[in-house]
Amino acid sequence: MMTAVLGKEMTDHFRDRRTLLSGLLVPVLGPLLFLGMFSLIASWVREDKPLTIPVVGAANAPHLIAFLQRAGAVIEEAPADYEAQVRDGKLELALSIPEDYGKEFEAGRAAPLQLAFDSSSNKTRQQTARARHLLDAYTRRLGALRMIARGVSPSLVAPLDVTEVDLATPERTAANALSMIPLFLLMAAFVGGLHLAIDCTAGERERGSLEPLLVNPVSRFAVVTGKWLAVVVVTAVAIGIALLGFSIAVTHVPLQDLGVKFHLGARETIGLLAACLPLALFAGALQITLALFARTFKEAQTYLSMLMLVPMVPATFLSLSPIKTQFWMMAVPVLGQTVLMGDVLRGEGRPLYWFGVAAASALLAAALFLAWATRLLKSEKIIFGRGA
Amino acid sequence: MIEARALHKEFGAVKAVDDVTFRADDGIVTGLLGPNGAGKTTTLRMLTTLIVPDSGAALIDGIDVTKDPMEARRRLGVLPDARGLYPRLTAREHARYAGRLHGMPKQLLEQRIEELVQQLDLASIADRRTEGFSNGERVKVALARALVHSPRNVLLDEPTNGLDVLATRAVRDLIRKLKADGKCVVFSSHVMQEVSALCDRIVVVAHGRVVADGTPDELKARAGTASLEEAFISIIGSDKGLVVSEKGLVQ
Repeated sequence: MMTAVLGKEMTDHFRDRRTLLSGLLVPVLGPLLFLGMFSLIASWVREDKPLTIPVVGAANAPHLIAFLQRAGAVIEEAPADYEAQVRDGKLELALSIPEDYGKEFEAGRAAPLQLAFDSSSNKTRQQTARARHLLDAYTRRLGALRMIARGVSPSLVAPLDVTEVDLATPERTAANALSMIPLFLLMAAFVGGLHLAIDCTAGERERGSLEPLLVNPVSRFAVVTGKWLAVVVVTAVAIGIALLGFSIAVTHVPLQDLGVKFHLGARETIGLLAACLPLALFAGALQITLALFARTFKEAQTYLSMLMLVPMVPATFLSLSPIKTQFWMMAVPVLGQTVLMGDVLRGEGRPLYWFGVAAASALLAAALFLAWATRLLKSEKIIFGRGA
Repeated sequence: MIEARALHKEFGAVKAVDDVTFRADDGIVTGLLGPNGAGKTTTLRMLTTLIVPDSGAALIDGIDVTKDPMEARRRLGVLPDARGLYPRLTAREHARYAGRLHGMPKQLLEQRIEELVQQLDLASIADRRTEGFSNGERVKVALARALVHSPRNVLLDEPTNGLDVLATRAVRDLIRKLKADGKCVVFSSHVMQEVSALCDRIVVVAHGRVVADGTPDELKARAGTASLEEAFISIIGSDKGLVVSEKGLVQ
């Protein structure tokens, strides 16, 4: 009986453009966005041009300019309206050397300098940091020289000698940048079967085909399960397509240029699938249950679109403030899948039973929702619509 | 055989069905006649297991629908009040879906679908998607879906509602055929002509109660009128009088 329901829903929705759209097209959007975004970032970085510093008043500090040029920087004459140009993004940065620079410098006081840049722009951040770095080096060097000239050891003013040791593995750095992959897989899980879930519940009642269906000798549980399985199949396909899209996109993005060593090979793909696919079970059950509550197709659409934001919560939270994955998280549907996917991408192996527990918790939650949906389908108010 | 025993159903403060008792035997057509809002659809929904009665019992071939709803549904063919179709499925696929839900073996199912396609004159549209079907075509598809498992008992809620003359005739022919096959047929209607043209027995329902029950001739004799229509009006009217006098008695 259940297979009869499943078969009918599959035949029906295979002919539905909207199901195909939500199930097949939406999952491709993620990889496309990924491709576009990373190509763009890579194009910025790939311009590994020499650092160019537009300078106002270069003549005021010939020694500094010579130092910068020795360090490989190209010095240019800055336009008069350099501040406006930096603000508009036409100029990446500009250095302004006031006329009294030389006077202050010779007097042994702190000589004023102005570095204009736009900290809100990702594109110029790197160039600005390079310029900053050079200026700092120059300052330290001069300071040390002045102290030696006065017979003071420069180490007096440098009580700390901090050496930066970046322990982030390349894979981990990559996973931070690539955290959008799990996010889009989650989205595929919650969008893929969306239309089908609504159409076979709220839609079924709205078009008046629920009553004829329920007068057949089929248990409500079989009806619910058959519909659920149809949603699960479409959702699983959506997840598969999204993942396939990403593995193709990754090979077409010059990730190496970003200093990112990242590999989405068979091992990672299987790991992602194992983490994400059980989510289809949960998402389908949740969507069917909620859609049964809705009075109309439109109302169900509103409910379920809001529902889509729910899986984004842990994912967004985790990408903003990463917490260490702990075993208990596996028991929370959506959260477990989210952290597992992150771990797979970071190359952090997790024992197989973690995947098992995450899948089991998703299945258990799905079973609870299915039991609820079965009860709903026995209610006269749900069958004939509330208010009827 | 379909039996309603003192069925009662309330929705909040509204008594939709107050006391409905009737028996529909095999081989005859029983009409449930009453004005809109009399409780016909609610009664049918209780008989088809979709609504659980507050009190009373509904029996299909002696099976209590609340105790064994699955067996009751197996013995019923229903054209419910809501007869929506799936716009992306063909007429034939509708019947096939119902047949599979009834667990019919494949070969028998296909054979039976073919039979119904001929009987309901669906051949020209059987393999077209139902999107854009006319009212009459839609009812025919819904009937094929309801009858595909050759049920012994057939419940039809306002089957000719909104149909043109030709489609109405097709439905009437089908009902006569079902009767000839010895089925138990119950259909509801608020249209006098429908009931008088088809029914061997008429159950008149008003305000959630059965106010008259008998053959057309018995009803005419009881109301002392020459036509069934006058009898109908006089019965509904006298029912109102009856209610008033009952209240009077109680007080």
